[in-house]
Amino acid sequence: MSKNYTSYILPWVKTAPGMSIVISIVVTVAATIDAGPYLLVNMVVTGGMLALVATGLTLMLGVLNIPMFAHGEYFMIGSLIAYYIFTPISEFIFEHPESWLVTFGPFIAIIGALAGGAIAGAISEKLVFGPLRRRSTDNWVMNSFLLTVGLSVLLINLHQLIFGADFKGIVGYWQGMPISIADVYVSKDRVMAFIISAVIVALFYLFMTYTRTGMAIRAVSQDIIGAEIVGIDIEKIVLLTISLACALAGVAGGSLLFMYPSYPTVGLEPLYMAWFVVILSGLGNILGAVAGAFMVALLKVITMEYVGAGWDFVVPSALIMFILIFKPSGIFGSDVRGVLDK
Amino acid sequence: MDTIKNELQMNSFDRVLDKLCLTPIGLAGLILLLILPFIPPFNQEYMLRWLIYCGFIAAMSVGFDFTAGFINIVNFGYMAVAGTGGYTSALLVINAGLSPWIAMVAGGVSSAILGLIIGMISLRLRGIFAACLSWFFGLAVMGLATKMVWLTRGPLGLRVPRLFETESNFPFYFLIIILVYLTYLVCKWVVRSKMGLAFQAIGQNMDAARTSGVDPVFYRVFNFTMSCAIAGVLGGFYAHFYGILTPDMMHTSKTVEVLAVAYIGGRGSLWGGAVIAFPFIFLMEIVRSTLSNLPGLNLVIYALVLILVMIYYPGGFSYFYDTHIRHPKNRVLRYLLNGRDA
Repeated sequence: MSKNYTSYILPWVKTAPGMSIVISIVVTVAATIDAGPYLLVNMVVTGGMLALVATGLTLMLGVLNIPMFAHGEYFMIGSLIAYYIFTPISEFIFEHPESWLVTFGPFIAIIGALAGGAIAGAISEKLVFGPLRRRSTDNWVMNSFLLTVGLSVLLINLHQLIFGADFKGIVGYWQGMPISIADVYVSKDRVMAFIISAVIVALFYLFMTYTRTGMAIRAVSQDIIGAEIVGIDIEKIVLLTISLACALAGVAGGSLLFMYPSYPTVGLEPLYMAWFVVILSGLGNILGAVAGAFMVALLKVITMEYVGAGWDFVVPSALIMFILIFKPSGIFGSDVRGVLDK
Repeated sequence: MDTIKNELQMNSFDRVLDKLCLTPIGLAGLILLLILPFIPPFNQEYMLRWLIYCGFIAAMSVGFDFTAGFINIVNFGYMAVAGTGGYTSALLVINAGLSPWIAMVAGGVSSAILGLIIGMISLRLRGIFAACLSWFFGLAVMGLATKMVWLTRGPLGLRVPRLFETESNFPFYFLIIILVYLTYLVCKWVVRSKMGLAFQAIGQNMDAARTSGVDPVFYRVFNFTMSCAIAGVLGGFYAHFYGILTPDMMHTSKTVEVLAVAYIGGRGSLWGGAVIAFPFIFLMEIVRSTLSNLPGLNLVIYALVLILVMIYYPGGFSYFYDTHIRHPKNRVLRYLLNGRDA
């Protein structure tokens, strides 16, 4: 029996996904032993957030073929909504420390962020992507990309115009002592943020794999005309996909409000990181995006630890470019045909 | 036969215009730009500063369109490339005591090397992936400029000697107009030759181009190198005009500014961006300075224009001009708009 397993595992380790996963695990363990377990905790929390944002991005790119440059702005919308929901709640908690809102208030804020992201996504589909899809004839990828660039600038500056450029942040969602895991004190907020992202990614995966709607979304991503022939309502699926993707970004922004206070350009960092993930892990593969999210988070955390803060764009992007030279379709991706491939 | 007849009919004025890639109306526009600083509202120094910025964006958008409009790859790290040129030039002047003029050329060379590298490593990628790669490259370069404080003084900003030893902006204005025109001319000459045809073939359908014997490797790398060299020289101008250089210049939002102008002007036309930059950026500057209590409003308008153009008129201004204005019934008008060759 054990021989059977090894005969499966050895060839898998030799492939690109296997190799990169094994290397990341080894590096994580080595760095954790060297620098302390807080590194692992940081990586897990950042990775969970990135997984949410990057999954949404993968969904947009895989199903609708939209290279979403405005995805960070839905992160920003989520954090803004969570801030405006949670501020009155925290005032109420301050006056009534015994109420049920102490435990459940943050959930209201985070669910509000989720709903807000979904609604913002639906509105942008109705106002922006829908008209483009009806009018566009060729060069869809480039046109939609430029459209999202415009959308990003628009949302950032609307935020600045309406809500101002100052930091709108909170001290923390859940009060009380930090939880101790293996001699590291982790604040409750971080633990909850990770749990929320893990639950949502798992739910999302189950939704995509087992429900009829999820199957329809995957069908549209594989072959849009075929999907139309078998009677899938494309418009509905597209609307659903965009709001799902934006809701994922929104919930990431909402649940990380304690780390990233809401200000106009807060979405840029998650956006860059999510693009790193998507390009690194390849397209149209949700599990790949989740694994890639943790790899990029690992890269970022290790860079911060050993090279210094501020280098966290330089080293990961250099490494990703290096990987892309040898594996242009990303680690988990299928084919992207370039110039040199015949 | 027709072309020979045309050659014979052309008088020397038309032939010179044709060599200079100008139509009579283009020549008139150029002359208007050259006398603009003597016309009353525009002869104030602050207006001239805006016009110089317009000129800078115009020239950048021409260089950008050389890549984006022809081989259909958005160089999303374009401003980072320009910033590299600017920093190289500034550091050479400060540390090696070179004349700014020579240093600007050296900046162009350094950017060309950068462009060569981007072109080489993005060879295996297509479309949006190549755009992302150049974007990551830009992010990495910007991170380097921010973190190499011993060399670039990081976010504090590098003080750079100006190109002319005067307080006045007049010489800078004429220089940038010349640079805009030279950029246009060089790009147009290349595009007019057999090379331009190859670029377009690669941009439209790479497989077909390869089948017809066009070698995409050479043309793509050449295109990247040339457009980046232009960006480097212009970056040198930017550094020696403003006299202060911060890594902010390399930010993605600046690239977006160039990109928006290039696409509103019309892709694949080269002149569209240059023409649209002057009124558009100028109006934006007016909005920004008169409504300074509403920060970000100019960028909101900017983004709205970009979104509307992308949805309703993806061809941009040059397409509009070609379909609606270019061929009037009147023969004199037609000569003015097209020159002799049409």
